[in-house]
Amino acid sequence: MSVRKIIEEALREGRSKLHEHEAMAVLREYGFPVPEVALARSRDEAVEAAVRIGFPVVLKIVSPSIVHKSDVGGVVLGLETEEQVAEAYDRILANVEKHAPGAEVVGVLVQRMVPKGLEVIVGATRDPIFDAVVMFGLGGIFVEVLRDVSFRVTPVSKEEAFEMLGEIKASRLLDGYRGMPPRDKDALADIIVKVSRLMDEVKEIKELDMNPIMSYEKGAAVADARIIVDGRS
Amino acid sequence: MTVLEALLRPRSIAIVGASRRPNKVGNIILRNLLASGYRGKIYPVNPAAPEILGFKAYPSLRKVPGEVDMVVVAIPAEHVLQVVDEAAEKNAKVLVVISSGFSEVGRRDLEEKLVRRAREKGMRVLGPNIFGVVYTPWGLNATFGPSMILRGRIALITQSGALGVALMGWTSSIGVGLSAVVSVGNMADLGFDEISEVLAEDPETRVITLYIEGIKPGTGKRFIEKMRRVSLRKPVVAFKSGRTSRGSAAASSHTGSLAGSDSVYQAAFEQSGVLRAMTLEEMFDWARAFAEQPLPRGNRIVIITNGGGVGVIATDAAEEQGLRLIDPPEDLVREFRRHMPWFGSAKNPVDLTGMAAGPEYSGAVEAALKHPDVDGVIVLYCETGLVHPRDLAGALIETYRKVRDEGVEKPMLVSMIGGDETNKALIHLDRRGIPAYPMPERAVSAMAAMIRYKNWLDKALHS
Repeated sequence: MSVRKIIEEALREGRSKLHEHEAMAVLREYGFPVPEVALARSRDEAVEAAVRIGFPVVLKIVSPSIVHKSDVGGVVLGLETEEQVAEAYDRILANVEKHAPGAEVVGVLVQRMVPKGLEVIVGATRDPIFDAVVMFGLGGIFVEVLRDVSFRVTPVSKEEAFEMLGEIKASRLLDGYRGMPPRDKDALADIIVKVSRLMDEVKEIKELDMNPIMSYEKGAAVADARIIVDGRS
Repeated sequence: MTVLEALLRPRSIAIVGASRRPNKVGNIILRNLLASGYRGKIYPVNPAAPEILGFKAYPSLRKVPGEVDMVVVAIPAEHVLQVVDEAAEKNAKVLVVISSGFSEVGRRDLEEKLVRRAREKGMRVLGPNIFGVVYTPWGLNATFGPSMILRGRIALITQSGALGVALMGWTSSIGVGLSAVVSVGNMADLGFDEISEVLAEDPETRVITLYIEGIKPGTGKRFIEKMRRVSLRKPVVAFKSGRTSRGSAAASSHTGSLAGSDSVYQAAFEQSGVLRAMTLEEMFDWARAFAEQPLPRGNRIVIITNGGGVGVIATDAAEEQGLRLIDPPEDLVREFRRHMPWFGSAKNPVDLTGMAAGPEYSGAVEAALKHPDVDGVIVLYCETGLVHPRDLAGALIETYRKVRDEGVEKPMLVSMIGGDETNKALIHLDRRGIPAYPMPERAVSAMAAMIRYKNWLDKALHS
């Protein structure tokens, strides 16, 4: 489905937050490194999707009323077999039933599990004065506790994207540290430039978070994405 | 004459709301125009007075003979709209709307009407809610601020009225000269970016300073684009108040909650090449250096001092701000040695010791400025009985001029710490083109700003 169609559908249904498989589809169309995903509405569909996508996979609850999926037991990682997927599907629905009774459930997202890497976050928002603004930071405590992030107003050039990578206080981690390998900065800069383009082209997107993105020695992968839309643009 | 030329070099000015009462804005502006030596035509407009301060007054703008480049409006807000049509008939280019009572008190409608009507007639609006405009090379002081403003090469664009007026007085009192002061107030039409573009073209202005409270919603990207072009022409230094951000309380994502307005402004300044000062004092410290001194070619700096303590203070500041204190090469060490007692230090910071007087400073400064491995020099002085600050200032001025006349284009900044005589010497240096500061960190910070600007320019010109 095209970006335009996905957003129109969400707005028609009165949703400001895209479902995760929709968000991933938007990012895929813009050439972001996103893993294979599929929405399953039954146990069998989940197993089928996992086989098609290839193991290992992750299962995540898709529900507009659940903000923190892990807190309600709505995420299961590292599933290697069909049996594990089937079992995890049931477990997620049971968890949600228990911890978020009455929550509207759209289905369960089956996602190719991306390998662990250095976790970074790239996001975007709209500022009343400068409009679209892109943010970069390292994931986990770096963003949440230390607020160690850098910003640029769009349009962001590749050169400026590299500056953003260098501006955070912990940027040395990207160059390799204590036996950890250096990260593919070009892949990260590429993601930043693509976010800038997406925000400038699709005005309905109000906020976007890719958290985390796994950064590798070569390449990167978006492990989780969230997109907020608004029809008034 | 372009619309914006009329803002700095109007050939004729009408003051609508000129008054005979000395405590009225419309009277002070007229007096300031007289005191500043404005040589164009002045037309006071007042329906009740035939003459004001020796000038023939006109009952309405319509009755003024010939054309008027600039119309200064100082009448109650509700009457301002009527002036627009009359100003257009007089072929006015710019309306300087002093009057308050527009968007700042919720009358956005009135303000929008004012701008729409003016733009339709090909005029631009400065203000409303401002104290006016100054351009010292043209003898233009159309403000109700202080009458005497020192002429110089620093332009100031200010969003705050009271602070702007106060800064006009303050800069003069510390010997800092200004080329222009533009009060932008509500920025209904002309804002920071367009005024900066005008000043970028102005040969009398070497550096532009901005006092910013907030840019108008929706104009941020234009600001970045225009200021970037201005920064390629000359340095722009901004001080932005309201740093502690409200945060985005309503934001529902990480990015939204982290993107406080200040971090976005910070990014915008970086992207546009605008140098951000964290205090007003710092803004003028940097501006003074840009206004008078050539840019350093690189970051290799030598500090010359007569006291170890201030040398260390300056060194700490230099390290923190990315200046490179070079190890002086052999030939330079030998040269430095000739100007200090045996217990001095020819390392960087170069300690001439408390025994140093004018000739020692001159010798060391000349050697440093002339050496190809040195991009800039910071001179420090603690007041001692061995050399009077005035004499040292004289020696430094003479040495700098001599070296410059020999073709060496490098910046030299000075810091002198001491009593009243030292403070007088600081102003003496400043007025002769050598920025001087009462504390060593401030000289270092100004040098660092020059280096940052130079680096930005090099990068921007190559991309």
